[in-house]
Amino acid sequence: MRFVIRRFLLFVAALLAISVVIFAALRILPGDVASVMAGLNAPPERVAQLRSQMGLDRPLTVQYFSWMGGLLHGDFGTSLLTGRSISSTVAMRASVTFPLIVLGLVVALAIGLTLGVVSTLSTHAAVRSVFHFVAIVGGAIPALWGGLLLILLFGRGTGLLGILPSQGFPEAGWDNFGSALTSLVLPALTVGIIDGASLMRYTRSALGEVMNSGYMDQAMACGYTRRQAALKVGLRLATPQLVSVVGLMFAGMITGVMVIENLFALPGIGAGLVTDLGNRDLIAVQSELFMLAAFFLFVGFLVDLLHRFLDPRLKHAVQGGAQ
Amino acid sequence: MTRNNEHSASETVRTNNAPANMGTKASSKFTVVLRSIWRRGEGKFALIVLALWLAVSLLSLVWTPKSLWATDGYHVWAKPSAAHWLGTDGTGADVFSWLMAGARTNLFIAVLAVVFAGALGILLMSAMVSRSSALSNVSVVAVDALISIPTVLIALILAVPMGASVVVIIIACGIGYGLNLARIARPQALLAANSDYVASALSYGASGFSVIWHHILPNAMPTIMVQLSLSAGTAVLAESGLTYLGVGVPSGVPSWGHSLATSVKFINVYPLTVLWPGLIVTIVVVALNVFGDVLRDVIDPVTNPELREV
Repeated sequence: MRFVIRRFLLFVAALLAISVVIFAALRILPGDVASVMAGLNAPPERVAQLRSQMGLDRPLTVQYFSWMGGLLHGDFGTSLLTGRSISSTVAMRASVTFPLIVLGLVVALAIGLTLGVVSTLSTHAAVRSVFHFVAIVGGAIPALWGGLLLILLFGRGTGLLGILPSQGFPEAGWDNFGSALTSLVLPALTVGIIDGASLMRYTRSALGEVMNSGYMDQAMACGYTRRQAALKVGLRLATPQLVSVVGLMFAGMITGVMVIENLFALPGIGAGLVTDLGNRDLIAVQSELFMLAAFFLFVGFLVDLLHRFLDPRLKHAVQGGAQ
Repeated sequence: MTRNNEHSASETVRTNNAPANMGTKASSKFTVVLRSIWRRGEGKFALIVLALWLAVSLLSLVWTPKSLWATDGYHVWAKPSAAHWLGTDGTGADVFSWLMAGARTNLFIAVLAVVFAGALGILLMSAMVSRSSALSNVSVVAVDALISIPTVLIALILAVPMGASVVVIIIACGIGYGLNLARIARPQALLAANSDYVASALSYGASGFSVIWHHILPNAMPTIMVQLSLSAGTAVLAESGLTYLGVGVPSGVPSWGHSLATSVKFINVYPLTVLWPGLIVTIVVVALNVFGDVLRDVIDPVTNPELREV
C-alpha cells in the first residue's frame, strides 16, 4: 500500500512538472502566442485584442493557475480557430485513434507473442535465425515507409491487390461501421507489424531468460515436457515483464500512430495535434499536449502497479530487504 | 545464428582475419572489439554498412553527382538513367545526390543524439546510485515517472517554440534515450556501487566522482555502449517520422526523412521514388541494431577472452 501511495504522489508530481514545462514552452515563443496567431502583418490593435481575449495580458502565474483550475474542472478551453470546446474535439478524434491502436495492439500481440514463443521453443537453428532476421528487419522499418508499402500492395486504386481503402475515414464515423472498420485495417496492420516485431524481441528475451532459470528445471522435474513447461510456467513467469512492455507500447502507440494517421488521412488525435500545431492554434495545442502527457504518465503509473501485482516476488523482496 | 544474405558477397572481399596478435602493444581495447565484431558474419555486414554511411557522408560534403539545387523543370520525375542514377524528384533535382547528402544530416543527428543521450544517461545513472539517499530516491522516481513520455511528444513540445529544426530531434531523442539509458544501466552501476572494491576505495578516501569514474563507469560501459548503438538506430527512425510530421528537419535541408516525406505525396504516380529512402533507412537501422547485438557479445571481457589480454 505504501508503494501505491508513493507511486501515486510521484504521478501527481510528474503531472505538475510536465504542466509547467508545457506552459513554459508556449510562453517562451518569440513575441507571444497572440502575435504568432495574429500573423506577421497584423495591426497592433488586433494583437492586443487577441491578447486580452486569451487572457495573455494577465501575469504568468494567474494565467497558469486559471489554466490548471480549468483542467481540474474538466474545462480544457476553447479553440480560437474553430470556436469548439477542445475536450469535444479531442473526444471525437479519440474515437478514431483508440480503435486504431486497439486493433494495432491486437495485431502486434498476435504476431509478437506467437512468433516470440515459437522462436524461443524452436530447436532448429535455421528457424530461429529466420525469426531473428524477421524481428530485426521488422523493427527497423520506418512506420511511414511500412504504411506506404502496404498501400502499394493493398490500397484501393493503386495497390497490386486493390482491396482496402487507404485514405480517410467515413464522414458518419462509427455509424457507418463497416466502412469505418475497413478504413482502419491497413493503418492497424502497419503499426501492428512494426510493433509486433519489437514485441517479438521482448517476448524472446523475457521467455529466454525464464527458460534458463531453475523454475523450468523444477517444472520439468515434475514431469512437464520442455514445451509444456514453457507454456504453463514460463509464460506466467514472463508475464509481469511483458505486461509492462505491452502497457508502455499501448501508450506509445498514441504518438506512434501520428505518422500513420497523417499518411492514411485519419482524423485522429495525433494528426489533429499536428494540424493544430501547423495552424498555430496554441490554446488547443497546450491542452492537447497536456492531455497526452497525462495519459502517458497515468499508463506508466498503472503499469508499475500492475507489474507489482503480477510479480509478488518484488513485494517480498522489498519487505525482506533492508528497506 | 548467421545472416546468410546481403553481405555474403562482401565477406569474401576481405578475409584477413588474422589471428588476434595479442603481443603487440598497438592493439587497444577498441581495435580488439572491432576485430571481434568483424569476425562475425553479421558483424561484418554492420561494419560495412556503417563505414559506407560515414564514407558517403564525408564524400557528399565535397562531391555529389549533381548539385542539390540543379533543378530541371523539363525532367521532373525522370526514370533512373545514366544522367540521374535514381531518377529525379518533383523539382527535377537528382534523387541520388539528395540521398547522398541526406546521409550526412542523418549521421549528424544520430551522433549528436547519442552523445547527448549518453551524457544525460550517465549523469542520471550516477545520481541514481549516489550515496546521498535523497538524490538517488529523487532521480529514481523522476526517471520512472518520465520514462513513459514518448520521444515524439517531447519533440512536439519543443517544436512549439523552436519550430522545425534538427535541434528539436536531437534534444527530444537525447532526453528520451537518456532516460532509457539510465534505467537500463542502473542495475550494473548499482552492482558496482555496492561492491567491496568500491567500499575499499571509499575507505581510502576516494571521492564520489573518482569512484564513479574509475569503478562504476567502466562496469556500466558495456551496457551503455550497446544501448547507445541501438538508440542511434531509433534516432534515424525518429528523424524520418518527425520530419514527415513537420517538426524535424526543415524543408530545404537534405535528409532521408525529407526524401521520404516529399515522395509520399506522389506515391500514386511515382511509387518507385519512395522505395529508395525507406530502403536505405531500413538497412542502416538494421546495421545499427545488429551492431548493438554483436557488441553485446564481444564487449564483455567475461565472454570475450581476447579483451582480458589487452
